[in-house]
Amino acid sequence: MPRGLVGLVGANGAGKTTLFRLLLGLARPTEGAVEVCGRAVAADPVGSRARLGYMPEHDCLPLDQSAADVVATLGELSGLPPRAARQRASEILDLVGLDEARFRPVGGFSTGMRQRVKLAQALVADPELALLDEPTAGLDPTGREEMLALVARLASFGISVLLATHLLDDVARVCDHVVMLDAGRLVVAGPTETLLRQTGKLTVEVNAGVGRLARALADRSLTVVADGPFRDDEGGSVDVVVGTDPGPVLDTIRDVLADLGLPLHRLSSRAGSLDEAFTLGGTLDGSGGAGPGGWGP
Amino acid sequence: MSALPDVAADGSAVDPAFVADPTVVVSGLSVFFGPKVALSELSCSFGPGVTGLLGPNGAGKTTLMRAITGLLTVSAGRVWVAGGDPRHDRAVQGHVGLVPEDEAVPGGLTPRQLTRYRAALHSVADREAPERWLAVVDLLDVADRPMDGFSKGMRQRAKVAAALVSNPTVLILDEPLNGADPVQRVNLIRLFRQLGDQGRTVLVSSHVLYEVERLAERVMVLVAGRLAAAGDRRGIRDAMADRPRRVLVRADPPRVLAAALAGHEAVGGVEVDGDRLTVATRRAGDLALALPGLARQAGVRLWEVRPLDESLEALFRELVR
Amino acid sequence: MSARGAVYDRGYRPYDGPRGGRAASVLALYKASVRRAVGLRRSWRQKFLPLGLLAVVSVPAAVNVGIGYATRNSPLEGFSFFTYREYVGVSSALLLFVAVCAPDVVCPERRQRVLPVIFARPLTGTDYVAAKLGAIFSLVFAFSLLPQVLLYVGQTLVSKDGSLHYVSQHADVLWKVPVAVAALALYYAALSLAVSSLTARRLVAGASVFGLVIISSVVAHILNEAGALGGRGPLFNLLSLPLVVRDLVFLGHVYPQSPLAGVAGAGALAVVGYVVVVAVSVAVLLWRYRWAER
Repeated sequence: MPRGLVGLVGANGAGKTTLFRLLLGLARPTEGAVEVCGRAVAADPVGSRARLGYMPEHDCLPLDQSAADVVATLGELSGLPPRAARQRASEILDLVGLDEARFRPVGGFSTGMRQRVKLAQALVADPELALLDEPTAGLDPTGREEMLALVARLASFGISVLLATHLLDDVARVCDHVVMLDAGRLVVAGPTETLLRQTGKLTVEVNAGVGRLARALADRSLTVVADGPFRDDEGGSVDVVVGTDPGPVLDTIRDVLADLGLPLHRLSSRAGSLDEAFTLGGTLDGSGGAGPGGWGP
Repeated sequence: MSALPDVAADGSAVDPAFVADPTVVVSGLSVFFGPKVALSELSCSFGPGVTGLLGPNGAGKTTLMRAITGLLTVSAGRVWVAGGDPRHDRAVQGHVGLVPEDEAVPGGLTPRQLTRYRAALHSVADREAPERWLAVVDLLDVADRPMDGFSKGMRQRAKVAAALVSNPTVLILDEPLNGADPVQRVNLIRLFRQLGDQGRTVLVSSHVLYEVERLAERVMVLVAGRLAAAGDRRGIRDAMADRPRRVLVRADPPRVLAAALAGHEAVGGVEVDGDRLTVATRRAGDLALALPGLARQAGVRLWEVRPLDESLEALFRELVR
Repeated sequence: MSARGAVYDRGYRPYDGPRGGRAASVLALYKASVRRAVGLRRSWRQKFLPLGLLAVVSVPAAVNVGIGYATRNSPLEGFSFFTYREYVGVSSALLLFVAVCAPDVVCPERRQRVLPVIFARPLTGTDYVAAKLGAIFSLVFAFSLLPQVLLYVGQTLVSKDGSLHYVSQHADVLWKVPVAVAALALYYAALSLAVSSLTARRLVAGASVFGLVIISSVVAHILNEAGALGGRGPLFNLLSLPLVVRDLVFLGHVYPQSPLAGVAGAGALAVVGYVVVVAVSVAVLLWRYRWAER
């Protein structure tokens, strides 16, 4: 896995926890070898942990100590001298947005605040690689955005991140690369950008006149993918197939819109969501049996 | 039911917080837990199909769901479900299924046992119902394993099956996708949509807004125990049309277009960052109309046009501020 | 004149300073555990029990010294409630102390699932056990030693024949007490930690420590009454076993008035029993925290 922000997704039981344990040197591989940050884990499992930070999914903080105390103690446990640990604890807690609350006992914190303390303890020892397990779990939309913004900044601090999550949207927003695991095997790995852009289609959404748009585009020899009958005057969207050179197609679309006087609401590459890349990439039908139609009563 | 609001001539309710043909009506609902106000004079209604319930943590979503399913005593106001009082009317309770958020599952039970127990509890005539719903949520191969060994996602699916076994017309789901992996999420979303298409009244709460967008045509947003917004996606979008909006335009060459846009009366301001223009406007509709023409006139290629605030995310951000 | 000003970036600063190895981590865990047990940096309620117990246990020392002072010129001089030997191992107080402290340093970490976060750091299960053992050992050692010191110093000061005389008279106390106290501390620390590591709930752990010891004393009593094992029954009494070791330290042989007096090889067997208890306890601990062992 390359430097930067890597997303790790997979079905439950696909091996995510095992992978984390392997990276932390807490488990030994039956076959093969693990290298983290350029060093083989097997040679010095304990020492290689010094360069890692781990943020578990579950609650993992002593509830009766203050946030500053918890993070400082964990920093000392990572080998930092006591004074440095306290300083860094303060700095990191400020960074994650807990400067005021940091002297209050963790037991009184909300979910969002606890997630931040968990992130802080993973960062206090200045790791090279941070392993984050579902950092947005339990957070409301605002909290989730703030957490993702924090995670996105980690790369600029020189910290690589392995982000395990069930939310493909988190990965799409924040990660440069994505790795998918299925039943212990690697399924898809690649920069998020390319995975997202796999579809080769453009979406044009207008506030009115979608039928006329579709016809006019077809008249100009563009391949329009129909998603059902288009009403002439209603708002809606059409997908246009784009070949290797999108430029002329874009210009044609613009000209058609201008000629017809249609209000352009959105023009973007058909957001191949990560979902599609996910299901395209392998036999990812969960615990067996979901055919192309999914489930159904 | 004199508490229903006025209905307009075309049959639609005047206030988007209400629907014309509701299954569940909430009127002036207040719930206090000691000094804590969980819900404060809440009035809304929803009907067949899938309705999304959004809100920050602690906004009262779970409390509302429990009030609708009759699990708590309201402090003030009324709740009607399918014409009856969910707290006292047994017939109504038979029509409502709840999938709560908390993890607690009676220890040692298997999914099969749970669904059969529920079927027995509701005197479900159809003997095949437990098996059928277990199959729907894809738990047949682990149906006889005790649920304490299950992951969160699997337990959620079991609870969904158990709630569906009594064939409820009203289904209340509190964060049903919690802990589900990406594949299960997609499948569950599809399932809930199908249930809504079947005419059931489905209320789903979730924190993952882009999933709510796929799941529900209508949403209600709760903030601090009160209704902050309600309506369908388009309606909310239109309600926001004349609020300050921002549109992202990627163009080449960017500054030429920026200059042209700045000259247009619908545009409030243009920010340029590389090839990205962020256009601020209070008249999003007029901007949409003008954009293609302006671009062509200026000889500028449009690579991307994307409204930045129309997602539920943006709405949410604004409401919660 | 030119104006000068700057806005500083309070962003992230990488850490380039020294990093300790495993030893530093163990020390940090040791210190944190001691702090936790004594209640430092926590609410006053947490501090109450350990310090309260310490005060209670020190009272006899103070009383003794007081009496020594009051009677120093009277015919009653030289009277003391108890000897140094007896004072070491005020067993029930010690038991109470470890039953409170040991669960407190291992159970919450298990219950609140802090262990994964601890073991994601550069230390092994053995390190963890060493730190916890060290912490409880230190605490019990200090807890037992302090009253002794109080007693000794007090007696020295009130001694009628002068401090130096007292010291030379009681020179052996200076090494016997610390050794005996250390033996007891190790025993109780290992035992209570081992029991506590088996559960995540503090109350259960504390009660189990008590329960185990009490039950063992009952078993020992029964064995003794039944005359089984040639009178070696009392060796099974977890509560009194370390006291036999203590007697060996102080007297060189089993205490004449103990039920084991006269039993052949009782002294050696007691030592063996002691070692077994400590070894088994440590083994249990290492086993409980083995998942970080690689």
